[in-house]
Amino acid sequence: MAIIKAEKTPSRPAPIFETSIIGWLQKNLFSSVFNTVLTLFMLFIIYLSLSGIIGWGFIDATFVADNRRQCYDNSLTGACWAGVIDWLTNIFYGRYPRDEIWRIDFGALMLVFWMAPLWMPRVKGKVLIGASVVVFYPFLAGYLFAGGDKGLFMQIMISAAIVALIGNMANLITGLAKNESVVQFLLRVSGKMTAPDKTQRNLLLAILVLAFAAVFWWQTSWSAVGVPWTKWGGLFLTLVISGIGIASALPGGIILALGRRSKLPVVRVLSTSFIEIFRSVPLITVLFMATTMFPLFMPEGFVLNKLVQVIIAVVLFNACYMAETVRAGLQAIPKGQFEGAHTIGLGYWGTMGLVIMPQALKHMIPNIVGSFIGLLKDTTLVSIIGLFDILGMLRSISKDVPWLGLHKEPLIFGAMLFFILCFSMSKYSRHLETKLSAGNKH
Amino acid sequence: MAKENTQGVSARARPKEKFNFFHDQRVRSALYQLLTAGIVGWVAWYLISNTAYNLEVRGMNTGFGFWNVSAGFDTDFKLIDYTPGVGTFGRIFWIGALNTLFVSFLAIIASTLLGFFIGVLRLSSNWLVAKVALVYVEIFRNVPLLIQIVFWFIGVFSLLPRVKSTIDLSFGAERVLLNNRGLYMATPIPGNLFWMTLVALAVAIGGVIYYRRRARKLQDKSGIQTKTMLPSIAAIIVLPLAVFLATGMPLAWDVPTLQGFNFEGGTSVPPAFLALLVALTIYHAAQIAEAVRAGILSVSRGQSDAAMSIGLKPGRVMSLVIIPQAMPAIVPPMISNWMNTVKNSSLAIAIGYSDIVSLFMQTALNQAGYAVEMVGLTMLFYMTISLTISFFLNIYNKRVQLVER
Repeated sequence: MAIIKAEKTPSRPAPIFETSIIGWLQKNLFSSVFNTVLTLFMLFIIYLSLSGIIGWGFIDATFVADNRRQCYDNSLTGACWAGVIDWLTNIFYGRYPRDEIWRIDFGALMLVFWMAPLWMPRVKGKVLIGASVVVFYPFLAGYLFAGGDKGLFMQIMISAAIVALIGNMANLITGLAKNESVVQFLLRVSGKMTAPDKTQRNLLLAILVLAFAAVFWWQTSWSAVGVPWTKWGGLFLTLVISGIGIASALPGGIILALGRRSKLPVVRVLSTSFIEIFRSVPLITVLFMATTMFPLFMPEGFVLNKLVQVIIAVVLFNACYMAETVRAGLQAIPKGQFEGAHTIGLGYWGTMGLVIMPQALKHMIPNIVGSFIGLLKDTTLVSIIGLFDILGMLRSISKDVPWLGLHKEPLIFGAMLFFILCFSMSKYSRHLETKLSAGNKH
Repeated sequence: MAKENTQGVSARARPKEKFNFFHDQRVRSALYQLLTAGIVGWVAWYLISNTAYNLEVRGMNTGFGFWNVSAGFDTDFKLIDYTPGVGTFGRIFWIGALNTLFVSFLAIIASTLLGFFIGVLRLSSNWLVAKVALVYVEIFRNVPLLIQIVFWFIGVFSLLPRVKSTIDLSFGAERVLLNNRGLYMATPIPGNLFWMTLVALAVAIGGVIYYRRRARKLQDKSGIQTKTMLPSIAAIIVLPLAVFLATGMPLAWDVPTLQGFNFEGGTSVPPAFLALLVALTIYHAAQIAEAVRAGILSVSRGQSDAAMSIGLKPGRVMSLVIIPQAMPAIVPPMISNWMNTVKNSSLAIAIGYSDIVSLFMQTALNQAGYAVEMVGLTMLFYMTISLTISFFLNIYNKRVQLVER
């Protein structure tokens, strides 16, 4: 006779040791005598540093004062944040004319709106949006920041950029509201959904030309006050240099990486030596080369300003590092992809542009974010050759008469700012990495 | 009908394809290469001719004649003899190069040791220790090195006490002194019979190596373990010390003494050197810690389980099983970190340590004005270092790959 229980035995709860806080504490902090000593020692160190930091940075610190003397009168052992707060506008915008600062904010806001659709799953045409940011945004933002006379070329580019932005925003709205792209929306509204391709293309082209003409006519009616580049500074300048740096280094890096993997010996040797030369020297020597030797390279009477010299140096330098990132991405693509592309009759550029690069670029995004973090940190070097980027601004606080000798607080503020920027970006890139590699496993 | 016929023929015996000049692969590749070489050559020629013209118009000096011209400025830190006004620009180059190598060398050693330590702490089973190591790595990785260097220089080493209230780091012996002019250390001056102590040290080390080898052989043969650690340490310390005392302590010290406003004698390094060394060490230790952690994680868990199951203690599991297998994954990123340390030491220019960039590429260039040559030489120096290091890295990689199964 067998005894059979009618229902399943319920599973017992996990032992208290596994679930309770005390169990966790014992397992992770006090598992042995040695570990207990280590934990207590660490707690002591944490207590020492936290109490020091909080005491100096908050409790004894002065936040409101007119000059350093008043800080000292308030407390001798605390930080003098008043100096940093007094200079906050300078730290972010440099010596940009105060009445024109809205242009920088507006430019930044535009970028946010332009790029935001890239993160929205419902919005269509992401590749086009990404490309339009890289191609058109720099001209619009560049004119917005620099101002002055618009040449014909700039007028065309600005108008194109505005049309692209409007199109992008319309696409965002149609995407969110109706889950369709702006092109589909226009065709549906005009009732040409089923018309032949040629009619559709002509209609869209007509709308585009009309919009461009209208914007072009509108933009002749206004112009922005010129702001010389010497007034640019602070975090704004740092972001401009690193932004241009990463945006131009990517295409440059792709070309160099393809050159390095090329079957043509001349192309390969040239690309490889170019990459290796720039990768083996420090950035500061490249910057010095830019400021001392670029003027000699140029034909007589052609003068590059220092900002342009620096940007060229940063772009060259980073293109070589980006080339190695791209190369690593290309190496990760299995050989079957190349062979598959060849079998369906694609040539070199077809293979690379339509099959290999889209896959490789997707996997490179985390590394590209990583390079951008590195570039952002490296951009502080331009303060050495006399540009007033964020570090230059932070260091000039100590030369300002009311805050004479105030060194530590600005540097710590800058360090915190960079930490927040870089840490959040690196967290995001790690998140992307896990997301992409999870997608890859299916 | 005729059409069909020709098709049938071509399917069987293909007629010789018409030779199209531009569709031939060899012709095309040769053309592309010629085109690239042409463009690059033209750009190079254009830049060089512009440079030559500009140099001539501005009356700037060219050539390497400056190498043997005496330089008129002094430096605060040098490892080889140099007198301003007598020493040449060539000597300035070597002073700068040695200073760069000196600070990078020390920073590489210190950051590697610290990095290994923190990398292992990152994986500690103690939650708090692991988190503290994580905080260290994240803070120092995400703040620009230049800000860190400037902070250590201005915020720490420049705020040290003045010469009059020097800190004595040797507990009252006045052998190691620290103030805002730098770090002063007493230099040992060997006496007459000091060589005997060195001989004793060499004998002790040789003996220890022999002893350990024999112990190893014995263990391989019979499995009997001999204690080697304590006897070796004892031999290396006791024997030289005994000889040293027996010969009457033949070692004098060149002690830094306060003369006027500053310390004279001994060896000294400026605050900028200390700031650079500390900042480079801390920054690169964080990078190396990540490489070490990734390397250790790349060893599969089964390895440590197996090692524990044959009864090895946690410390020996790490040192005998995990680390040796993790090394191939750790070494390449670590060496590229060393390369970065050498390159990043060029940030010394921001705080005025006389490395090759600030001494040769800035001060000397401003004085003599051979822009092209001096910038070129400096870059050549860094390229030589990088190529040397990557040469050794390649050798290492080849060796590791051969061992790998």
